[in-house]
Amino acid sequence: MSKEIVRLKVNGEWREVALPLNRLLLDALREDLVLTGSKRGCDDASCGCCAVLVDGVPVLSCVALAFSYQDCVIVTVEGIAAPGELDPVQEGYAEAGGAQCGFCTPGFLIATKALLDRHPHPTPEQIRNALSSNLCRCTGYMQIYESVKLAIERAESRAVAAGRS
Amino acid sequence: MAGETLIGKPMPMTDARSKVTGLGKYTDDISVPGMLIGRILHSPHPHARIRGIDTSRAEALEGVKAVCTGKDAPRPYGILPIGHDEGVFQIDKARYIGDNIAAVAATSAEIAEQALGLIDVDYEVLPAWLDPREAMLAADNWIHQGKPNNIEKEYHHHFGNVDEALARADFVREESYFAGEVSHAAMEPHSTLAVWDADGRMTVYSSTQVPYYLHRTLADVCEMPMSQIRVIKPLVGGGFGGKSEVIPLEIAAGVLAKKAKRPVKITYTREEVFYAHRGRPITYMDIKAGLTREGKITGLYARVVQDGGAYCGYGPVTVLYSGALLGAIYDIPNVKYDGYRVLTNKPACGAMRGHGTVNVRFAVEAMLDALAHDAGLDPLEVRRRNLLKAPCITVNGLRVTSYGLPECIERVAERSGWNEKKGKMPPGRGIGMACSHYVSGAANPIIRSNIPHTTINLKIDRDATVTVYSGAAEIGQGSDTMQVQIIAEVLSVDPQRVRLVAADTDLTPIDLGSYSSRVTFMAGNACIDAAKNMRAQLLAGVAKKLGVDPAQIDLRNEQIFVAGEAQPRMNFDQAVAAALEFQGGLVARGTYAPPEEARGGKFKGSGVGPSPSYSYSAQVVEVHVDEETGRVTVDNIIAAHDCGRALNPLTVEGQIEGSVYMGLGQALQEEMIWLDGRLMNPSLLEYRIPSTLETPEIESIIVESMDPEGPFGAKEAGEGSLAATIPAIANAVFDAVGVRINTLPITPEKVLAALEAKKKSERVKASGNGGPAGGNGNRGGSR
Amino acid sequence: MTMPAFRLARPASLDEAVRILADGGPEAMIIAGGTDLVPNLQMKLFTPRVVVDLKPRRELSGIEFSPGRGLRIGALTTLTAIMESPVVRAKFPVLAAAVGTIAGPLQRNMGTLGGNLCLETRCRWYNQSDFWRTALGGCLKKDGPICHVAPAGKFCWAAWSGDAAPALLTLDAEVEVTGPGGARRMPLGDLYTGDGMDRLRLGRGEILTAVHVPARMAGRRGVYHKLRIRNSIDYPLAGVAVTMLVDGQGVCREACVALTAVNPAPVVVRDAGQALIGRRFEPALIEQATHAAISTGKPLTTSASTPVYRREMVRLFTRRALEELWKNGRA
Repeated sequence: MSKEIVRLKVNGEWREVALPLNRLLLDALREDLVLTGSKRGCDDASCGCCAVLVDGVPVLSCVALAFSYQDCVIVTVEGIAAPGELDPVQEGYAEAGGAQCGFCTPGFLIATKALLDRHPHPTPEQIRNALSSNLCRCTGYMQIYESVKLAIERAESRAVAAGRS
Repeated sequence: MAGETLIGKPMPMTDARSKVTGLGKYTDDISVPGMLIGRILHSPHPHARIRGIDTSRAEALEGVKAVCTGKDAPRPYGILPIGHDEGVFQIDKARYIGDNIAAVAATSAEIAEQALGLIDVDYEVLPAWLDPREAMLAADNWIHQGKPNNIEKEYHHHFGNVDEALARADFVREESYFAGEVSHAAMEPHSTLAVWDADGRMTVYSSTQVPYYLHRTLADVCEMPMSQIRVIKPLVGGGFGGKSEVIPLEIAAGVLAKKAKRPVKITYTREEVFYAHRGRPITYMDIKAGLTREGKITGLYARVVQDGGAYCGYGPVTVLYSGALLGAIYDIPNVKYDGYRVLTNKPACGAMRGHGTVNVRFAVEAMLDALAHDAGLDPLEVRRRNLLKAPCITVNGLRVTSYGLPECIERVAERSGWNEKKGKMPPGRGIGMACSHYVSGAANPIIRSNIPHTTINLKIDRDATVTVYSGAAEIGQGSDTMQVQIIAEVLSVDPQRVRLVAADTDLTPIDLGSYSSRVTFMAGNACIDAAKNMRAQLLAGVAKKLGVDPAQIDLRNEQIFVAGEAQPRMNFDQAVAAALEFQGGLVARGTYAPPEEARGGKFKGSGVGPSPSYSYSAQVVEVHVDEETGRVTVDNIIAAHDCGRALNPLTVEGQIEGSVYMGLGQALQEEMIWLDGRLMNPSLLEYRIPSTLETPEIESIIVESMDPEGPFGAKEAGEGSLAATIPAIANAVFDAVGVRINTLPITPEKVLAALEAKKKSERVKASGNGGPAGGNGNRGGSR
Repeated sequence: MTMPAFRLARPASLDEAVRILADGGPEAMIIAGGTDLVPNLQMKLFTPRVVVDLKPRRELSGIEFSPGRGLRIGALTTLTAIMESPVVRAKFPVLAAAVGTIAGPLQRNMGTLGGNLCLETRCRWYNQSDFWRTALGGCLKKDGPICHVAPAGKFCWAAWSGDAAPALLTLDAEVEVTGPGGARRMPLGDLYTGDGMDRLRLGRGEILTAVHVPARMAGRRGVYHKLRIRNSIDYPLAGVAVTMLVDGQGVCREACVALTAVNPAPVVVRDAGQALIGRRFEPALIEQATHAAISTGKPLTTSASTPVYRREMVRLFTRRALEELWKNGRA
C-alpha cells in the first residue's frame, strides 16, 4: 500500500511518519515510532492494554486509524512522566502491587491518569467505573485500587510540597 | 524470625519501574534487523488425515522467505517423556480445529497471512471425537495410534476401604459434578522471536514459564545441540500455566528461523492463544462420600473423566493431581479414585493455576456442604472435625510438614462473622465456605534425573555488586523480587546492591521453571544456600585480612563487626575488597532438591502429588442472588491462606487476590463453549474474564505456619487459593436460595432453571406427591 | 490479525463525504469511532475499497437542546459526551442510562451515537476471524450458503445489538440522513430493515448525520435494562427500554417499550405501550404488556446465552421497568 505522512504530537514531540492509510494507531506507535509500551492483548477492543491519551482522553489505540488522529496530541505510557521521573500514578502502581505481570499496566496507568486529571479525589465507585474497560488477569483489582489510592496520596503530598516551595 | 530485616516486609517488585514506564520489554516488543514475521497455518477440521501439502504457490509469493511443514521438523515432542505425540507441524493427521499444519516467514505480516492462503492442504476428513464419554468407548478411528479407546491414561487408587466406610456412614451422598473448560487468558498473547546468528547459533526470546524445557525441546525438534541454542525469557505478561508447556509457536519460530537463516517473530492472535490453550479440562466427576452423625468423613470416592483434547501435554499429571489432592487436605482414611484422561479432537488441555485440584475441589467441597446440611451440621464445623494432625503422612503417602488449615478456618470464620450469619441471612442472601490446598512444587521432576531442581550462582566482584544468576522465570508473580530479598537478607546487604540475571540459558543455571508453585520454595532455598556459601567466603576473606578467627566476624547491615566490638571495622565495599585479595572474584553456588522422604509412595502414579510442603486456604464468600434473573452477585470474599511465611506480604496478598479472582471467573462466567469441535468464543470479548465491575472486595488474610523446610518458613502462595473460591461461591448460592448448582460455571440460566425446578417440586410436594427436591437437574454437557 | 488494504478518505466537507460514499457504493464504508468497524475489518468481514473517515468533520458532533425544538445530537457525538450531558441526563434519562451501559468507558470515549445506531448486526457464527469462518464454510451473511441459526431458511437472524436505539425509539426519535439529494428526516424505526444481512435502510451515499428527539419528550421518565454477563465491555444479550408518562392520578398517558439484541433490528413493542394508555396500574396490564414484549422479541441462538433465557429476561425487564415507572411513579 502506498504511504502518506501522518503528523502526531507524541509524548510532547511532533513526529511525522510515512504510513499506509490503513495503519492502526497502536501499530504506528509500537512499530513505526518504536514506543512499545502500549500493548495488544486482544483483537476486538475488549482488554484496554492499548489505551493512550488523545487530547487528554483515554482511547483504545488498537481500533483507531493513525490518520484519524492527524495533528492530535498523544500521550502513551512512556510519556506520562518526563524521562527518569515517575508520575504519582506510576509510583502508585509500582509500589502498591498494581503491576504484577505488567502487561495491562500501561492501559491501567492511562485510564487512571485520565481519571485523576479530571477527578483528583474520585470515589471508589468512580475508580471502579473508570477502570472497567481494562482487564487485569493477575491482581483481582484490589492492589490496583490500592495503587490508585497511593497515587492520590502522592499527588497530594507533591502539591503540598510544591505549595511550600 | 528475630533479626531479619527484609523478610516479612512488603517490598515492591524489583522490575516495577520498567513496567510502569512502559520501558520493559516483552517478547513482542523486541525487534531485530532483518526480522521476518511468521504466521501459522491451522487445521480447519477437528479430525482429518493429511493426504498432501503443496506449498509451492506460497513459496512463490514475493516476500515469502520460508515455508515449513512437518517434513522440516518431523520429531514429535511433548512436555512429558511419556507423551511425545505432538509435531510442530502435523504430518499424518490434524487433530483439532487450530492444529498446526505449516508456517510461513515473510517480510510482513500481511504477506505471511496471504501466503497461508496459498498453501494447499489435501485433507480426508475423519469423524471427530468431541465428547470424552463417547471418545473413551471408541472401537476404532482413534485419535492417536497406540492409544486404544482414546484413553491417554487412567489411574485407579484405593486407600483403606471405601465401600466399608460408606456402609457405616450415617449420611451418604452420590452426586455428579461438572466443570466447563477454562483457559488462562493471560493478558500477553504468546510471542517468540528466534534469531539465527552469523555463527549458526540460535537465540530464542520467548514468553515462557520454563526456559529449560523450551531449550531442550528446541534442540530436539530443530535437531541442534543444546549448546547451539540460547533461550532468553524477557518480561512475560502472565502465564498461569499457559506458558509452562512448550507451545507450538515457540518451536515454529525456531524451525522457520533455521530454514530462513533469518530472525523470525511469531505473535499469536488472541484466537490462536485459545487454540494453543493447555487450560483446565472439561471434567465429569461422580462423587460418593459418607459422613457420620458426628461429622466425621468416613470415606470418599471419585470417578473423574477429563476431556484432555488432542495431545497428551501435561494430561497424565493433571489427572494424577486430581487424585492425589482429592482427599489429602483432610483426615480421610478411606479414599478411592478412578481417573481417566481422555483424548478428544479439541485443543490440548494442560496445566492451569491450581493444576488438577480445582475441579475436584469444587466437587468435594460442595459435597461436604451438602452432607453437612443432611446431617444438620455447620459445614465449617465439619471441616474442623476432619483436620489432619500434622506433621503426618496422608493415606496416599503425602508428607505434611506444616498445616495452617485450622488457623485459616478460624480466621475466616471470625473475620466473616460466620456464626452470626450462617443460616441467618435475609432471603436471597447467602454465605458459604470452602477449603483448598496445593503443592509447593513437585517433589519429583517430570524428566527424571538427579540434578537439583534449582541451582543459583552468585558473583561479587570489585564493584561490590551482588549478581545473582538464576534460571527461575519471573512471569509477574514476583519471583525475581523474592530472590533478591532472600539474597540481600542472608548477605545482610541493601537489596539495591543485588542484581538479578534471570532466565537466560547462556548465563543462568538450570531451574525447572515457574509452575506448580515451586519457585519460592525451591529457588528460595537455593538462594539461601548460595548466599550462605557466599557469606562464609566473604567473612573468611575478611577474617584473614583482619587476622581474626572467622567465627569472630559478623556482617550486619553492610557492616563488618568483630565480636565484642561496638564499632564496625569496615563496610561492605571494603569487606569485598579485602576478600578479593585472597581469591579474586567471589563466586558461590546454591542448590535445592526435595528430600527423599518428600517424594511419595511407591504405587503407580505416586510420583505426582508429593511436594516438599503444602499450602492451605479457607474462604468465606457472601453472595446475593436475584431470584428472577438467576444472577449471582458476589458481595465479598475473605480468603485466608497458609503460605508458611509471607516473605513479601505485598506480593503474597497479590497472589491470593489474583487466585481468588480467577476462581471467581471460573465459578460464575468463564467457559470455553464448544460446538462440533469449534470454539465459539475465542476472544476476550466473548470469553468473559471478570472486569472490575463483577469483582467484589477480596480480603486476604495471611496465615503463617512456618514450614520447617521452607525458605524462612515459606510455602506456596500463588495457586492454592483459587480452588476454594469456586465451591465457597456454590455453597453460598445454596445458602441464599436453596439450590445446588453442581455444574460450572454457575450461570444465571442454570440458577433460574434450578429455582424453577425447586418451585415445581415444592408445589408437587404441597399437593401431596412427595418427590426429591430438585436442584441437580443441571448436568453439564446439555448446553 | 492484519488490516485489509483500503484507501482512506478524509473529506473536507460533508458534501465531499457523501460524494465519495456515493461513488464507492457498496465498496465504501464509514469509520467514526472505529470500535465496531476496525475489529470487523481485521476479521475480514469487510474488505472495502475506500473508507471514509468522518472524524475530522467536527460539525457533525454536538448536543443542542431548546424547549421549542427539542434535542438534536450530531451523529459524531461520542457516547461519553451524551452520557455526561446535563441536559440529556436531566431531560432524557432513558437515553443517558442506555448510553451509559454501552461497552466500557474507553469504548464510549471513541464510539459515536451514529456508530451505535448503525452497528453491524452480530452473531456468534459471524463475528469470528477469517480462519474461523473459513473452517466453518461461512454463513449466509458472509461467504456461506446457510444461516447456522436457522438452517432451514434463507434469512439472516444476526442480532442488532446496540443500546442507544431502543432508548431513542421510546423517545420517538428521528434521524437526519444526508445524501446526494440533500438532507431528510425519518423516524428512527424506519432506519432499520429488520434483515440481519442488510440492516440499514440507507440509500447510496447517505450518511446518518444527526438524531432529533421531539421537545414533548423532554422530561419523559424512562429506564433501560440490559442483559449481559459482565457489567462492562459486553454487548447486550437483550435490552429493554421503557418510557412512560403518568398523570397526577396515576393514569398512564403515554408508554413505549422497545427491545434490542433479540431481533435483527431494534423494535418498538407496539401492543405493549398501547395497552396501558388511559389505564391505572394493575398487574394484569403489566402481564399483557410483557406478553406483547415476548411476542415481539425473537431471540435465537446468535449469542452464548440461550434464546429461552433471553426471552425470559425480556419479559422480566419489561415488567420491572413498567413497575418502576408506573407503580411507584407519578408524573
